[in-house]
Amino acid sequence: MHIPDGLIAPQAYLAAAAIAIPCWAYAVKRVSTALDEAAIPRLAVLTALAFVLSTIMLPLPGGTSAHLYGMGLLVLAFGLWPAFLAFSLVLALQALLLGAGGITALPVNALTMGLVGGAVVVGARSLLGASRSAWATVLPVWLGVVVAATGLALVLGAQPLLGSDAAGRPLFFPFGPAVTLPVIVLPHMIIGLLEGVLTWMVLGMLESRRATT
Amino acid sequence: MRDRAILLCWLSAVVAITFVHDPRVLGALLLISLAAQGRSAPKIALRALVAVALVNVTVSAAFVVSAWLAGADWMTFVLRLNLRVFLLALLTFWMIRHVDLARAAAPWPSLQFLVVLALGQIRTFTSLLADYRMAFSSRSPTRPPLRVRFGSAGRQASAMLEKAERQSEELNQGMRARGFFDREFLQ
Repeated sequence: MHIPDGLIAPQAYLAAAAIAIPCWAYAVKRVSTALDEAAIPRLAVLTALAFVLSTIMLPLPGGTSAHLYGMGLLVLAFGLWPAFLAFSLVLALQALLLGAGGITALPVNALTMGLVGGAVVVGARSLLGASRSAWATVLPVWLGVVVAATGLALVLGAQPLLGSDAAGRPLFFPFGPAVTLPVIVLPHMIIGLLEGVLTWMVLGMLESRRATT
Repeated sequence: MRDRAILLCWLSAVVAITFVHDPRVLGALLLISLAAQGRSAPKIALRALVAVALVNVTVSAAFVVSAWLAGADWMTFVLRLNLRVFLLALLTFWMIRHVDLARAAAPWPSLQFLVVLALGQIRTFTSLLADYRMAFSSRSPTRPPLRVRFGSAGRQASAMLEKAERQSEELNQGMRARGFFDREFLQ
């Protein structure tokens, strides 16, 4: 669901960069302190994992599919800050190696999908306490995906307010939140649910495998 | 040095282009970029076109319909959006062709190792995932039901997660054995 270059006004992406840079610095500090010399290999593998998870197809009814977002799984398995860093690195590598997404949109994409989405997953999971039911995983992941999608929809929907020419024509993304919210958020309500179920299945499989080995 | 210079030029150009709104200027910049790429221009242009086509066509078509219904001008915006997004994609694919990311990160050994390791691991995981997919499709002569496909996606993800945990430990040991974490190496 990430945004490509050219659709976001400089006011928006520069402001997002001003927020994202200290967040990345803090995440690097947290990960380095927690993992010490294991930080670099751990982050490299997590980045590769986040990259590959985003290529796993979520089967949808009717024979179609969508990409796995993967942030919920990463956050629940490895914690918010390593997952946020790995997710941001994936976005950077996708932009710098594959031309997917965009470098100007990177801070917006990383903050909404990586940090806000991830923090919502962690917050919702901790609110549910030590519950081991499926919903204790599905609900936080669903909420994380939906909040991240809502954040992206709001950023995109704000673009007409950030720039128009003398004749009132938009300079960047042309549609307001009345269009972006339903178009982006509604499909993600379904994708988020499927992603939540998949995350619950994966964590359950891991737990049972660990218990038997 | 050369890689970092190109990366910096590209980044400055990308930011500068987002401040340009006149379709004639964007068109001229696009022509200059294409001309500067010489014989590789058609190949790079095609890659850029494929990368932006879906987003551009969707946004442009929706805008044309809404402007047409409102009786407003749509041509200027459609030209502006398409020229800008295409130009940015073209410059990005040109940069990708000329920059070695690992070399660009050379002054920061930790970042360079992170990039090199991550790229290597991505290749490993991607090929592993391709193996899983091929194995799944070879075991499924007809299209499997949704539940089975869902289970397969879950097993792929959990296998990746397990593999990641093991790889991380192996890499750490390998790097320690080669002296990567020695103070003088990281300076």
